[in-house]
Amino acid sequence: MTRRLNARKPKNARQATTPARPVRTRKPSAAATLVAASAQALALSIDPAWQTGVTLNLQLLFKHAALVDEFPLPDEIEPAPVFRA
Amino acid sequence: MLETAALDFTWSTAADIVAAIGAGRTSALSIIEATLAHVRNRDPLLNSFTAITEQRALLRAQALDAAHARGEQLPPLAGVPFAVKNLFNVAGLATIAGSKINRDAAPASRDATLIERLEAAGAILVGALNMGEYAYDFTGENVHDGPSRNPHDLNRMSGGSSGGSAAAVAGGLLPLTLASDTNGSIRVPASLCGLFGLKPTYGRLSCAGTFPFVTSLDHVGPLARSTRDLALAYDAMQGYDQRDPVCADRAAEPVTALLRNGADGLRIAVATGYFKCRSAEAVYAVDRVAAALGANRDVEIPEAERARSAAFIITASEAASLHLNRLRTRARDFDPAVRDRLIAGAMLPTSLVAKAQKFRRWYRGEVLKLFAEVDAIVAPATPCTAPLIGQQTFMFGDTALPVRPNLGLYTQPISFIGLPVAAVPIPHTPLPIGVQVIAAPWREDVALRIAHTLEAEGVAAAMRPSL
Repeated sequence: MTRRLNARKPKNARQATTPARPVRTRKPSAAATLVAASAQALALSIDPAWQTGVTLNLQLLFKHAALVDEFPLPDEIEPAPVFRA
Repeated sequence: MLETAALDFTWSTAADIVAAIGAGRTSALSIIEATLAHVRNRDPLLNSFTAITEQRALLRAQALDAAHARGEQLPPLAGVPFAVKNLFNVAGLATIAGSKINRDAAPASRDATLIERLEAAGAILVGALNMGEYAYDFTGENVHDGPSRNPHDLNRMSGGSSGGSAAAVAGGLLPLTLASDTNGSIRVPASLCGLFGLKPTYGRLSCAGTFPFVTSLDHVGPLARSTRDLALAYDAMQGYDQRDPVCADRAAEPVTALLRNGADGLRIAVATGYFKCRSAEAVYAVDRVAAALGANRDVEIPEAERARSAAFIITASEAASLHLNRLRTRARDFDPAVRDRLIAGAMLPTSLVAKAQKFRRWYRGEVLKLFAEVDAIVAPATPCTAPLIGQQTFMFGDTALPVRPNLGLYTQPISFIGLPVAAVPIPHTPLPIGVQVIAAPWREDVALRIAHTLEAEGVAAAMRPSL
């Protein structure tokens, strides 16, 4: 399951239709840590002034990703774009 | 000198212009000269154009008039001025895609396929249009070129990312523009500016010669002030294009002649659940459309919120991949709001993006089942009318949501699986708002027939702003 990195549930968040996931312990600095590590791995130079914006956006992406990740899918299902030779 | 004054070209439809030229009441050259003058005079208010292709347009108009004088049959869009979102390649211009960075690119050597097809049908390109940077936008704002302004209230957003495409048509500068729609970039500005827009089925119209955003989700299509103009343009642009690997190998399926069939016999439902309106304006618009169409059944599009989330992360990831090298070398030249989103997208694990693409397959299957029971689904296009330029949040029910990522919350779950949609403008005071008419894949005819019916009954209309 996807960990929601530092994601706070917005007031308006709709309830998922699937059962609630177990509560996990979250490291407060996980998203910022991931930003720093990924920037190094991807050779991206991030100005300190951008850190907050990037981190907030990454948290938002993980929030959306968690909604997708928790949904059960058959192993056999193909990704939508299928390459044809 | 032919008489142009009788034809109010500033609010004429493309069909009106073709008819006037065909009847000899005006000429293509007169129309283009008047359009160019109007753009120069009026666009400083709207900020919708980023380039004007004056010489090219005048030459084409003269050639068209010469052919007409020789007795040649006029093509279906003869003399119709149009302009394109500046992510379409225009020969001789750099394809800036709303960015600062692409201004350094070499000029395009060839027009985008859809420009070639519209011009083959007699339409005349007059320029390129403002847009949100790299199409990652729902507002119509642009830090490099300034915001496109909503003709119904110049202090308000045009919607994006095809902001210039909508502002130019809604402001009466010309009757037809081309735009792109990855997550809602035709339908959101159509809604905020009060226009008809067509987002065709994914793969229906060629994207060749356009600067990409998210190739899994990119669509292109027209904006206009009437459904007939949408249909005329759409028919001229259909057909397989080997230059676009996504373009479907399908024969053209013309729709213009089908508009007169109306909506009788079509099974139309209203989307509920996730698509339940949270603003009085959206409720009004959807209720008006439903009542006019006799749409008295509801349908719930399953897992629409999750679909929107999947579209959200696919968008971030693919767009980040596209721009990764530019993020390494020219990060400071991006719009900061776009830059931060792209950098974050680059950091999203691939395993989650792949899962989103698998979810997309599942979701498609479930939504297509609905079309066994209904022919079209009606849903709001935007959660609100046009926000003020610079506005950061809007009220969604009792909750304040950020504007930039959320204006497309009703459009994203639909384009996610490539369904064709006609956006229809519902007049409302003080600002218009749009409704999506959603059909099954490859049934643009159904969406446009319904839109045409709403237009004929006076329920949907592009209202003239008091500029």
